[in-house]
Amino acid sequence: MNDVASFDHSLPILDISHVTKRYGGMVILDDVSLSIRRGEIKVLIGPSGAGKSTLLQSVNFLVKPDSGTIRLEGKPVDASSKQALCRYRQQVGMIFQDFNLFDHLTALGNVELGLVHVKKIRRNEARDRAMQELERVGLADRAHHYPAQLSGGQKQRVSIARALAMDPKVMLLDEPTSALDPELIGEVHAVITRLGEAGMTMILATHQIGYARNLANEVVFMENGRILEQGPPEKILEHAELERTRAFCSRIADARG
Amino acid sequence: MEDVRYIVGEVLPALWRGLLVSVSLIVPSLVLGLAGGILLGTSRVYGTGWFRRLCDGIVLVFRGFPLVIQLYIWYFGLPRIGIYLSPYAASVCGFVCCSAAYHSEYIRGALLSIRPGQMLAGHAIGLTAFQTIRHVILPQAVRRALPGCGNEIIYLVKYSSLAYMITCIELTGEGKILASASFKYVEVFLTVGIVYLLLVTLVSRALEVLENHLVIPGFERYRT
Repeated sequence: MNDVASFDHSLPILDISHVTKRYGGMVILDDVSLSIRRGEIKVLIGPSGAGKSTLLQSVNFLVKPDSGTIRLEGKPVDASSKQALCRYRQQVGMIFQDFNLFDHLTALGNVELGLVHVKKIRRNEARDRAMQELERVGLADRAHHYPAQLSGGQKQRVSIARALAMDPKVMLLDEPTSALDPELIGEVHAVITRLGEAGMTMILATHQIGYARNLANEVVFMENGRILEQGPPEKILEHAELERTRAFCSRIADARG
Repeated sequence: MEDVRYIVGEVLPALWRGLLVSVSLIVPSLVLGLAGGILLGTSRVYGTGWFRRLCDGIVLVFRGFPLVIQLYIWYFGLPRIGIYLSPYAASVCGFVCCSAAYHSEYIRGALLSIRPGQMLAGHAIGLTAFQTIRHVILPQAVRRALPGCGNEIIYLVKYSSLAYMITCIELTGEGKILASASFKYVEVFLTVGIVYLLLVTLVSRALEVLENHLVIPGFERYRT
């Protein structure tokens, strides 16, 4: 039941159910449930502070939810077991808004680290594999550059390569282009689009509505720690049922042109 | 002329013996002190509960007691509970503990300066907290701490002179013996001082080479 071969493909690959998170008296996530099927791409939209980042980080247990369950391929994640958590996290790649490349390692070193210390692959094999991942994001020629020597777009592509090296089943992308200069956004979007075409399951938080429309199977609108509405991009972005969703989408469309 | 003959004939050979003892005190104290400082500093940032409080306590004591007092306790005090250390061993113990306590603060400061995202990114690819600290956080923090730790190492070179207080006759001890015998305090201690100055210069230079060797483009600064 739990291994991939016998996994029923009509079931969600990742199932988030009734996740709640509070900081002090503030409710950041209020009973959020979301499931995603294999190969599906969901885009989270919503104002800053809506809980998009916290939701993505909760899925990976970088933020520990107060309550709720996360299931990967039907199997609930036991966050109290360190080993189980580390195994789970390998399968769920995370991309951060501010890249979080390991500052003391080259691009190659960044991708290689997890292969060597998590997957326990021998160093020269890990190096070959890391190189392949950098080629996949078009950065083989930057392999020996340090993060400070890369542009923002290149850093984000290295971080995608680093996540892909762990062979994730799902990728979580937390506003991957928000920290980038406008002219660098395209190269990162191109990499994400290719990933989607190759069948990667993804949850992406973004303010790039135009890009979301082209990429998403489904758009999810969040506000105040809740999912208010979800559906196909045309519906949510143009004919949303809730006044609140329509107001947000039109404002953000005006801002972005 | 007589002074020159005195310095070359008696002072320098004695000081050479002392220097060898000093170096043999400094090198293990430096290595173990730095290692201990990294362990203590890391435990104080990432440790929890009683373990963290224990490490805080260790630092409090070894930074709080004057070093001479610590050396007296190691050498004269421990025999009371049946532990007999040689003057050399007692000195190294004292220097390692004192040095580790001070290093731990430089390391702690450096660890706290590393962006929290580094830890998140380590966790996100499936590294354990220990692995992330070991392979991601510490390599960066040690680089940041190095200028401060270098300062502590230079102090160590000089406070190694306290070993003679517990009869471990090193550079200063040899100087003291010579000066007491000849009453040529100025000549002897000027020479001893110059030897320490040379030692410190050498260590500073070595630290500079190490810092340059470890430099990462854009991490600390650009070096030319």
